[in-house]
Amino acid sequence: MTIQSLVTKWNMFFDTFLNKGGYKEVLTGLLNTLIIALLALVLGIIIGTIIAAIEVQPKKYGAWGKTLAVLKKISGIYVAFFRGTPMVVQLLLGYFVILPLLGINLSSIVVATLIMGLNSGAYVSEIMRSGILSVDIGQMEAGRALGLGYGTTMWKIIIPQAVKNILPTLGNELISLVKETSVVSFIGVVDLYKAFRNIGSGNYEYMMPFLVMAVIYIVIILIITFALKMMERGLRASDKR
Amino acid sequence: MISVRNIYKNFGDLHVLKGVSSEIQKGEKVAIIGPSGSGKSTLLRCMNLLEEPTYGEIWLDDQLLTPADPYLHPEVMKASRTYQKLLAEEMAKAESGVKAEELSAKLEQELIRRIKEEDLLNEKHEGSEYKNLLKQIEKENRVNVNLARQRVGMVFQHFNLFNNLTVMENLTLAPVTLKLQSAEEATEKASALLKRIGLYEKKDEYPNKLSGGQKQRIAIVRSLVMNPEAMLFDEPTSALDPEMVGEVLELIRELADEGMTMVIVTHEMGFAREVATRVLFMDGGQIKEENTPEEFFGNPQNPRLQEFLSKVL
Repeated sequence: MTIQSLVTKWNMFFDTFLNKGGYKEVLTGLLNTLIIALLALVLGIIIGTIIAAIEVQPKKYGAWGKTLAVLKKISGIYVAFFRGTPMVVQLLLGYFVILPLLGINLSSIVVATLIMGLNSGAYVSEIMRSGILSVDIGQMEAGRALGLGYGTTMWKIIIPQAVKNILPTLGNELISLVKETSVVSFIGVVDLYKAFRNIGSGNYEYMMPFLVMAVIYIVIILIITFALKMMERGLRASDKR
Repeated sequence: MISVRNIYKNFGDLHVLKGVSSEIQKGEKVAIIGPSGSGKSTLLRCMNLLEEPTYGEIWLDDQLLTPADPYLHPEVMKASRTYQKLLAEEMAKAESGVKAEELSAKLEQELIRRIKEEDLLNEKHEGSEYKNLLKQIEKENRVNVNLARQRVGMVFQHFNLFNNLTVMENLTLAPVTLKLQSAEEATEKASALLKRIGLYEKKDEYPNKLSGGQKQRIAIVRSLVMNPEAMLFDEPTSALDPEMVGEVLELIRELADEGMTMVIVTHEMGFAREVATRVLFMDGGQIKEENTPEEFFGNPQNPRLQEFLSKVL
């Protein structure tokens, strides 16, 4: 392939991107990608933390013990489903099977966020569980001995320390969420991938759009990595390290 | 103040406590000593329910912390079907003319003991009267364990200061979160206590910047902010460097002098002898000897205690 043809390809891409308004779609796509990934992570952390807090509870007797056993069963099934099927399958199931069956109308971007959040929750629950277990049992005992409840101690003492321990792993989760948004176009959401694909499909010239797309993905991930490092440093204020 | 009634604690097949009873009166300072694995820490942890006893009851004044234990309530036992069955068997054996009430009164203790030893009680099949009596006891006396724990402070071997909070936050978290004190009140009280132990300038430090002795003194003060009526110490100096033991014991001694009710599990025999008003010796999950410090150390009766003291003193 000659330099000449590469320059031609670049000019074609640049023309579509700038002069024919392709950048607008890319911006929309970028925004969608980031919004879906971030909201999904937030949802995932909320679901994951709740599940982890249920999972780490010791076996109890009485009425609460029975509720707990049921909750553990449910969370077990949930985690098994979302870890056991591909994300694409979950998106398709959610959008084309579950919603029509329930007769609910939701925009595809909302469905994408929900499904990715649920998917992420299954993974975050395991991450959070290991984080909670990494905190010394004495911290929980000290809280309980002062008269604080299980939930309060969990929320104010254990989870902050657990999050600090698992922040690098949670960062990984955000990064993989950003990358995995590239499958949401299966249910018609315009994300970064779809935007560049649309630019390319105008003249069947995909080389430059996909190259630029890859660069943008890398830049996003690098920015997130940097931000996470900063955040971790802040959280380590209570450490000697 | 704290009443331990015939508690047993099993961890699976391991029987750590085998029928321990003790009354801790207000103002008493009770030291618990014994070899490792004797159940002394477990006993202490049962007193604020960090461990739930398998059988037996823990009372804090007139508040019941554990589920009611049928064996400790003869009237409940007598209502059980198992007891009724055994009594009927005895009646059949007895001569005619003996009244059921008389026989029951005579054999009560004997039958209850038999039920316990042969483990005949089956909660599901003891009938509604039995169940209602148990429920009644719990309804009248049992309190939420979180409320009870607010009244009894606990100090751990490994300090267990909250690592994610500063010293001041460690002290004020519980009273403020539980709405027992306003943020200002708690901060004021915490400041006064920190000044008393000479660590006020550390109030904004995180625990990992402190020495073991400082951590333990702050852990003690953390309990004190809650205005506890009694304090439990679980080997408070065992994890400290030798030169830091003194400062922690000094603080505990001061609290003792101020009249705080306390139970201390310790290996510091000198300290136990000096501060305690009563010393318990535990071995094999039971209290083997219990006496004033003078008698306990000066004239030990139990052979296992004599052996123990000869090794550690």
